[in-house]
Amino acid sequence: MSVAGLERPQLVSHVQQALSYTLFDCKWVPRSARLLCLGSAARGTGLLQLYELRGGRLALLREIEKAKPIKCGTFGATSLQQRYLATGDFGGNLNIWNLEVPEIPVYSVKGHKEIINSIDGVGGLGIGEGAPEIVTGSRDGTVKVWDPRQKDTPVANMEPVQGESKRDCWTVTFEADFVIVGFWTHSLITFGHHLRLDSDLKGNAYNQEERVVCAGYDNGDIKLFDLKTMSLRWETNIKNGVCSLEFDRKDVNMNKLVATSLEGKFHVFDMRTQHPTKGFASVSEKAQKSTIWQVRHLPQNRDIFMTSGGAGSLHLWKYEYPAQRSKKDSEGAEMGVAGSVSLLQNVTLSTQPISSLDWSPDKKGLCVCGAFDQTVRVLIVTKLNKV
Amino acid sequence: MWDSLTLPNANKEKLQYLRENAVLKAHEKAKEEAEAKKVTKQEHKKHALEATMKLEEAERKRIEDLKEKERQKVTKELELWKKQQKDAEKQKRVQKEGELYQVEQLKEKKKEKINKTRIPNEGTSKTRLKPTKGYGSYSMFSENLKEEQLPAPRSAATIRINFTSRVFPTALRESCVAEEEEWLRKQAEARRAISADLSELEDLKEEEKNPDWLKNKGNKMFATGNYLAAVNAYNLAVRLNNKLPLLYLNRAACHLKLRNLHKAIEDSSKALELLTPPVPDNENARVKAYVRRGTAFCQLELYTEGLQDYEAALKIDPKNKTIEKDAEKIRHLIQGTTQDS
Repeated sequence: MSVAGLERPQLVSHVQQALSYTLFDCKWVPRSARLLCLGSAARGTGLLQLYELRGGRLALLREIEKAKPIKCGTFGATSLQQRYLATGDFGGNLNIWNLEVPEIPVYSVKGHKEIINSIDGVGGLGIGEGAPEIVTGSRDGTVKVWDPRQKDTPVANMEPVQGESKRDCWTVTFEADFVIVGFWTHSLITFGHHLRLDSDLKGNAYNQEERVVCAGYDNGDIKLFDLKTMSLRWETNIKNGVCSLEFDRKDVNMNKLVATSLEGKFHVFDMRTQHPTKGFASVSEKAQKSTIWQVRHLPQNRDIFMTSGGAGSLHLWKYEYPAQRSKKDSEGAEMGVAGSVSLLQNVTLSTQPISSLDWSPDKKGLCVCGAFDQTVRVLIVTKLNKV
Repeated sequence: MWDSLTLPNANKEKLQYLRENAVLKAHEKAKEEAEAKKVTKQEHKKHALEATMKLEEAERKRIEDLKEKERQKVTKELELWKKQQKDAEKQKRVQKEGELYQVEQLKEKKKEKINKTRIPNEGTSKTRLKPTKGYGSYSMFSENLKEEQLPAPRSAATIRINFTSRVFPTALRESCVAEEEEWLRKQAEARRAISADLSELEDLKEEEKNPDWLKNKGNKMFATGNYLAAVNAYNLAVRLNNKLPLLYLNRAACHLKLRNLHKAIEDSSKALELLTPPVPDNENARVKAYVRRGTAFCQLELYTEGLQDYEAALKIDPKNKTIEKDAEKIRHLIQGTTQDS
């Protein structure tokens, strides 16, 4: 390896912890150096473990056992003060837990008939505007949006038409556009202490808010649902089962969407310009031979994302925008132009698939990944400022 | 220096002897030199190898050191950041407590002064005070303001969707598409193929010309135990369309019940022929075909062939307990007969 190679971002392995159960999801607890591991114990019960990064190791703070194995979790829909965790489990139940008092869930509903494969939350953590909502996608082919203030019934339900055979929904993600329709004043100086400009904006602006949910299925379908008009806005098929979807940022106008799939491929869609027939422009890349399980964008830089593979590898990518993001086609309709993707770094950590990945929203470059070899690893990605 | 070129007074033999000696000595010398050369060459090679290894090792070590340094630097930064976090949290907590105290004081004052009914708050214990005094408690206030301004939950609605059609229940993979297409094509062709001799079938009713309808009829008759009638139905269906594997499969079952064992074997074999290429979609059918043929063989006392078929069935569906048990039974039978004979 040459010196030039060392100028690229390095994926440094910081801590490795062997667990005694199957790990399905790992998440950083916002505004802290703690992380949460969700999974399934050998005896078929669900396990939540809270770890803290101390020195060069992970110290177990709490262990909570639940009736059903837990598949996925998110902090996306809670406020920074409450930090409630929403989880989806193997029995199709959606639960929101207060980790200080984990015996009884704050909200609980048997949302789906089969395992909830994927969950996402929006409206919390000081990101974005509007009511907090949670979306779940399940093997029963439906995608449901929940509001924690409304019990038992979802606020939106995307299900197959009568008689249509269902396809597993493998992944869901939220995106909130917002259009500011009022005007605001910000008086940052008069307040006594530092306030983030965003939060001030939210407190005073009048927003008319759009939300979209994007869902990926095992037959390669990607569907974009608009929650404001309650309709299907766009759909496409990427010829391989869709394992993971993520928008690059949740709180601004749709910019980019990355979809990863089986057979080592991923697609980056430019979501700024929608052509009436061709949809969104995309660029695709075949990274490796095995399934790409997860994609996660760096919260501090939305053009860098990491993909995790079925061969236990992690790839760090950078997206470069084209010179012109949109152009006119032969009939004069606007269509988007996709840019290009370049590999910054890759590393192989394990022989088993790395099924979950999460960047820390507080420290740039800190990430945690969980693999099916029952190990959770904390990595630090260096030199991200120079990319 | 030599006095003379040749030895004086030497006889032929002595000269010859001396010559031979000299030649031998020259040989030996040459050999020794060659050996010495070899040895030095080897040593040089070894030395060169060691030197390159050392260089590579040094290079590797250098890179490792750089990586280690990075790691340590990064760990230090992490620790620093963690400390900052902790301090920030502590500060916030202290601040909040301070604010709470102030709010309590204000509350007391207000209570004494005015007898207004307080607006019930959504679960928080802090009251909403007019932000006139300018204390540093605006984070709390902006929180409250935000809570007030959360839009009501969406009115529930359902969006109905269609999926890109996929016949197989498994996930779509590009590499398997070719095989799957082939299987589907074969199925489609089989359904469309019609037998040549339609002349004698003209007096049949419309529905009786549909192989699927006949298959269903046959299934019903099998269920009620009328095996001969079922066989007739399947026969007619086969005449109409001899490419449907399920017809042969079901007819094999009927023949088994009727103890037409040779026919059962024939039909199961035909079914298996038609059930290629082997995809997960026709797994069930293939398992059934193997099991039926195996049973027929066993009833004909051809146990080894029967066992082969049972094992083939087990390979497709290893979790099926009945097949396992039956295979065991057959094995015992075979062992029993070989012991006897």
